[in-house]
Amino acid sequence: MKELNIKQLFGQYKVLALLIAIAIIWSFFSWQTQGDFISARNISNLLRQMSVTGILACGMVLVIISGEIDLSVGSLLGLLGGVAAVLDVLHGISLPLTLICVLALGLLIGLCNGYMTAYLGIPSFIVGLGGMLAFRGILLGVTGGLTIAPVSDNLVAIGQGYLPAWLGSALGFALLALALVLTWRQRGNRKRHNLPAAPLWRDVVRLAVIGAILLLFVRTLDSYDGIPVPVLLLLALLGIFSYVTSQTVFGRRIYAVGSNMEATRLSGVNVKAVKLWIFGIMGLMCALAGLVNTARLAAGSPSAGTSGELDAIAACFIGGTSMRGGSGTVYGALIGALVMASLDNGMSMLDVDTFWQMIVKGSILVLAVWIDVSTRTGRR
Amino acid sequence: MSDYLMEMKGIVKSFDGVRALNGIDIRIRAGECLGLCGENGAGKSTLMKVLSAVYPYGTWEGEILWERQPLKAHAIRETEAAGIIIIHQELMLVPELSVAENIFLGHEIKRFGGRLDYPAMYKRASELMTELGMPEINVAMPVMNLGGGHQQLVEIAKALNKQAKLLILDEPSSSLTASEISVLLDIIRGLKKKGVACVYISHKLEEVVAICDTVAVIRDGQHIATTPMSELNVDRIIAQMVGRELTALYPKQQHPIGETVFEARHVTCLDLDNPQRKRVDDVSFELRQGEILGIAGLVGAGRTELVSALFGAYPGHYQAEVRMGGKRIDASSPVAAIRHGLCMVPEDRKRHGIVPDLSVGQNITLAVLKAYTRHTRIDAEAELETIRDEIGRLKLKTANPFLPITSLSGGNQQKAVLSKMLLTRPKILILDEPTRGVDVGAKAEIYRLIVELATQGISIIMVSSEMAEVLSVSDRVLVMGEGVLRGNFINDNLSQETVLAAAIDPAARVGGDIASATPPSERVNMESV
Repeated sequence: MKELNIKQLFGQYKVLALLIAIAIIWSFFSWQTQGDFISARNISNLLRQMSVTGILACGMVLVIISGEIDLSVGSLLGLLGGVAAVLDVLHGISLPLTLICVLALGLLIGLCNGYMTAYLGIPSFIVGLGGMLAFRGILLGVTGGLTIAPVSDNLVAIGQGYLPAWLGSALGFALLALALVLTWRQRGNRKRHNLPAAPLWRDVVRLAVIGAILLLFVRTLDSYDGIPVPVLLLLALLGIFSYVTSQTVFGRRIYAVGSNMEATRLSGVNVKAVKLWIFGIMGLMCALAGLVNTARLAAGSPSAGTSGELDAIAACFIGGTSMRGGSGTVYGALIGALVMASLDNGMSMLDVDTFWQMIVKGSILVLAVWIDVSTRTGRR
Repeated sequence: MSDYLMEMKGIVKSFDGVRALNGIDIRIRAGECLGLCGENGAGKSTLMKVLSAVYPYGTWEGEILWERQPLKAHAIRETEAAGIIIIHQELMLVPELSVAENIFLGHEIKRFGGRLDYPAMYKRASELMTELGMPEINVAMPVMNLGGGHQQLVEIAKALNKQAKLLILDEPSSSLTASEISVLLDIIRGLKKKGVACVYISHKLEEVVAICDTVAVIRDGQHIATTPMSELNVDRIIAQMVGRELTALYPKQQHPIGETVFEARHVTCLDLDNPQRKRVDDVSFELRQGEILGIAGLVGAGRTELVSALFGAYPGHYQAEVRMGGKRIDASSPVAAIRHGLCMVPEDRKRHGIVPDLSVGQNITLAVLKAYTRHTRIDAEAELETIRDEIGRLKLKTANPFLPITSLSGGNQQKAVLSKMLLTRPKILILDEPTRGVDVGAKAEIYRLIVELATQGISIIMVSSEMAEVLSVSDRVLVMGEGVLRGNFINDNLSQETVLAAAIDPAARVGGDIASATPPSERVNMESV
């Protein structure tokens, strides 16, 4: 009976299992590096490393929930980052204009991908595969195969800047207050509609954990240089995407399309438009990730974002997104990205050979999905 | 002492502590046909899964005697070896493989080195087909070229090839036409003569009455009665199934019928795979306000194609002119059709009706979600209020609206799909097989709802393969056959024979122009032209 309860708890709160996995991974690396792994400097580093994959994963999770896949994101990230570098370095265009151009281009290319998938009926796997080659090719053409550097300081700030400490703390408090208000409202709503609410202690524990994590997060980062700008960007995206997927019509339709496209179409939903915009958003995320990547490296490299699509897809699946579409969460995908980034970072610190790193990451991906699949069938 | 082929005694099967079967006793002699009746969820399928060892020995309590020996099978392979063969509602054939290859799937006749012995398989397959009274079937042809009835035949041949002594048929006629059903029943009669026992599970009680020697009724996992057919009729079986005399299964109710509000003109649909063939050939008809128009016909007559073309959902090439209130409207896609107040509840609930990963409530509001938004955000409270109202109005049985829709029974899923479409406030509602796979109780509620909607002035087009349903609910009946309109009758004590005769008659065709019924109780284009 007790065992059953634990299983149910994990079934309901998959995020719990993921957090435990992260705790294990972090403890292991901390032990192996005599605590260097969880030093403020490294955590800050780790989160910045994760930000590019995380931004991609935010878009990718929508694509996968809707039952599609996009393999071109790594190349597109590289291309858009390269374009940003070219505009900034070679043409000396001002930062706002560069941002607008790159974001617009990302959206446009994403919409093109979406149009080919949704309206022309080309399987997204093929569109992605084609894009993966073509975008990388364009990038090589645009940069002439050379690294373009150095980019302007303004652009670099997007990838390497930090928030002042006081702003970070204020942000932490604001987030905690938000969590409190949301929980309060949810409890109120459930009570009003006579629905079984979670026991009070569970909500209190949940809020306490959120508070503790926020406190640790802000304090750790503040004790180094402050919250990095890309991490802030990622947090903002997490908020926006969680809101979109859970609270808006568009979000509901993404799940419906992925779960049963025909039934959704016959319910009078323009499923093609839904898919078109999902790919549009994916393109926009590639642009953001490309900008952050170029800013972080302070250069546009022709090999930027290589195999980025695989990291993003792996993050989604580790985070519990269903392979066949219809279910998944944004925060899950981001925790998945954190798992991947932690493995990367930790193993690099331990000087593990690259080939071992690849083997471990691949195995973890398969293992995570296996656990997910086996608990799913167990529930039926 | 016992001359029974198979006896199940005191079968109890629980899922997570809930008893799905609570002490069932059934037995069957060789050459006997046992009808197994019960509402959806009564436990029929569970019982058959126990018998065929889908649930292995040890996961249930009780005893099964097979030829007087206890049967302790752990896998379907073992029960099949014993001679218990189950034919599922959804056919388990590989469409691209030939008839013979399907019959021998898993039991192929092989030559040295694993090479398939096609001549031997074709010969045996042809013998089986002849045995089943269908010698003209080409056993080398892919199964996908056969009709539903013939595919069912291949399933039976497959079972016979495994030396079946007990054949379990789970809803075998759900996708068959009337003539195919009669072929099926003949085959079962032939099998009975050869000493093969059958368990016949069906919602279509006319068939049960026609073919079965004994009828066992189960309700909520309890064994209610096993009665010889000689003491039974359809009404009594229904009474046993629901536990009360069901008087108003089909409420016949007078309701006002207004002016013509909807016209379909020159609807033609081409076959998906074979564009030379017309699935629907120039069909036109009219519909009045508050009228319930039944569309009868045999399976494959083009009824589903016709209505999906009207709704803009036909996947192949088609032409259709849809007029509402005298004006031509754009119904080229479901989005456009729904905007004009033309809605459809599709035939295949699993594929086209429900969205499995969404909850009951989210399914209900899927089509009208935009109505609950404030600044792009869904107003969860307003949405929930509507969902609650709908659940109450349709008597939808669910513990709460947040459960996954897949946890509901077929009837309740259908109500959720209906509710989804009703929320769009349609003027014209197309229902394609609205009660398929729905239990008797939920059926009655759906009929009541249809009549209630018509009384409110909504015009309804109801495609149905159940003649009784068409004749008792509709105000007017269109009959289709092989893609053309073969009859258009005002339903004034219309007889089943008249409708069936029109459906079959290849010479019948109702005017290519407009087929409309003029003042009530007057038959138009009766029988044929």
